[in-house]
Amino acid sequence: MSPHEDILRVRDESLEHLRKVHGDDAETLIADARYGFISGLMKDVLTKPAVARVTATDRIDGFVLNRWLGIPLFLLILYAVFQFTFAVSAPLIDLINTGLDKLAAPAAGITPGWLGSLLADGIIGGVGAVLAFIPIILLLYIALSILEDTGYLARAAFVMDRLMHKIGLHGRSFVSLILGFGCSVPAVMSARTIENPSDRLVTILVTPLMSCGARLPVYALLAGAFFTAYQGLVVFAMYAIGVVLAILLAWLFRKRLVPGESGHFVMELPPYRLPTITSVAAHVWERSWAFISRAGSIIFVAVLVIWAMNYFGVLESIGRAVAPVFGPAGFGQWQPAIAMIFGVLAKETVVGTFGTLFAGAEGSSGFAAALSGQLGWTPLVAFAFMTMILLYIPCVATLGIIKKETGSWKWTVFTIAYTFVLGWTVATLIYQIGRLFI
Amino acid sequence: MTEKSITIALAGNPNSGKTTVFNNLTGARQHVGNWPGVTVEKKEGHLTFRGWRIHVVDLPGVYSLTAYSLDEVVARDFIVDERPDVVVDVVDASNLERNVYLTVQLLEMGARVVIALNMMDVAESRGYHIDTAELAHLLGAPVVPMIAARNQGTEDLLATVLEVAAGNRPAEGMTLSYGRDVEQEIVKLEKLLAARPPAGSYPPRWLAVKLLEDDKEIIKKVRQV
Repeated sequence: MSPHEDILRVRDESLEHLRKVHGDDAETLIADARYGFISGLMKDVLTKPAVARVTATDRIDGFVLNRWLGIPLFLLILYAVFQFTFAVSAPLIDLINTGLDKLAAPAAGITPGWLGSLLADGIIGGVGAVLAFIPIILLLYIALSILEDTGYLARAAFVMDRLMHKIGLHGRSFVSLILGFGCSVPAVMSARTIENPSDRLVTILVTPLMSCGARLPVYALLAGAFFTAYQGLVVFAMYAIGVVLAILLAWLFRKRLVPGESGHFVMELPPYRLPTITSVAAHVWERSWAFISRAGSIIFVAVLVIWAMNYFGVLESIGRAVAPVFGPAGFGQWQPAIAMIFGVLAKETVVGTFGTLFAGAEGSSGFAAALSGQLGWTPLVAFAFMTMILLYIPCVATLGIIKKETGSWKWTVFTIAYTFVLGWTVATLIYQIGRLFI
Repeated sequence: MTEKSITIALAGNPNSGKTTVFNNLTGARQHVGNWPGVTVEKKEGHLTFRGWRIHVVDLPGVYSLTAYSLDEVVARDFIVDERPDVVVDVVDASNLERNVYLTVQLLEMGARVVIALNMMDVAESRGYHIDTAELAHLLGAPVVPMIAARNQGTEDLLATVLEVAAGNRPAEGMTLSYGRDVEQEIVKLEKLLAARPPAGSYPPRWLAVKLLEDDKEIIKKVRQV
């Protein structure tokens, strides 16, 4: 086969893949991208007198892109997404936890004792605690895919473009940030579409502050345990803190680290479409599979290591050595310290660690009892810890892609350092200021 | 003498006033022939401006640069194969949204484009306001407002073309993003195409896009080598 037949074969695979994901041929998708670009361009440069003929897209845009309504509407939609996600997934998660409980009891009875402990505490307690959150992950990704496929996320970026301009970035950076709601790795890679090198670097540096799917189980666990009635609101607050800090830090970096003029690009505005089931299913599957396969690989291994170190009594002393650093933030105990150390491998490991260390505490009420009883945590401490998990050191996969995309160890190490300092500072501020009022 | 000579191509939609612009530029110094191998009419002309000899090639009027019509193939092959110093894209300002579709495709090819924003009078009479500075900024191509029917703006157009040709004025173009899923496939193909380029000086990214668009001419070119 000639090398060029090879290229055509790869092309056929690409066409097939795109047809499967979108239900449209690539030709249509590319033409749509051009029209989307042009309609964004026209919004920026052409003012027409009021005309009679208004399309449905124009009418919706008149509302969605409104100067005053746009941003509140975006926040409202985001809030609705979390309320929906939590309301629908809560009973499903309870169901899975009940099932895990039933599995753990006989597993613990297996002799020899260490094997029972490995199965019950390590695998069912640790990996199971992570997998229990699959419903929430699925629902969030379904909601995000629908927002993406209808064309709303492009509008959200368009609306944010005005604000982003004031801080020296443009809306395309916000597209990367929004992708960060799913996973930081593709979000960092998507910064490639930003041509201006300074804009691109700043976007890469702040993207990890956006709350990704892997952090969601941690919030769900703690919000379920400490904020039963306000779960959706508390998790929405985490996402909002991430967005606000990403924008704030971008502004700071743009001013201090990489000054220079920001490029201005057209924000694409594709026409609204009804999302197809196949497209949403493909996107949800792609993202959820990453979550499930991580639970079966890196998290599984991490939980085994944690279980073994705990079983042989070395875990606690390591945790105790690190823990005092987090005293001012309210969670200076050895268990959360261990959770954070292993959380750098993958953020879900925080849940896996708690699952192993507080084995037997299945379900929200079980964790609430364990965390407040054994560690003396209050809702305030839980909230401070959640912000720490949101902000501190990105996971190794994200650090790897930052190194690859910036081509620099300096910026990778910088990211580790600034996110840690930022997380510690914000968590400490929340805890110390909160203590004055509660 | 030779270094002060450039070639420009005139592109634009049918009815954008392209022929009027061509006549304004070249006057009587034009001749009509055929594009090699095909029966599409080829008009060429020349003029002298500020000591530069400018060779003008009038491309067929087209809405798009696909492989579906002979006119479109002729237009894009000239831009890729003959590499004119500047492509002047004549745009009907009163029909901006439809005309810009061609402009975007010229920019996707990596051509150095100057936009001749024609029929400004018609656009104004309809109450349209066009922010030409922003348009130039966002497309990465200079914009010259014109009323070719009254021979207004010809001088500005020529001055801008010379500045771009001489490299004194940036015409950096722009990169269109086709969306996450399509971009993933473009990157894959672009890598393969850059490693084993087919004949001609086509930019790999453009070739990748054309392959995904199922462009028969480009597929033939890739297969030939």
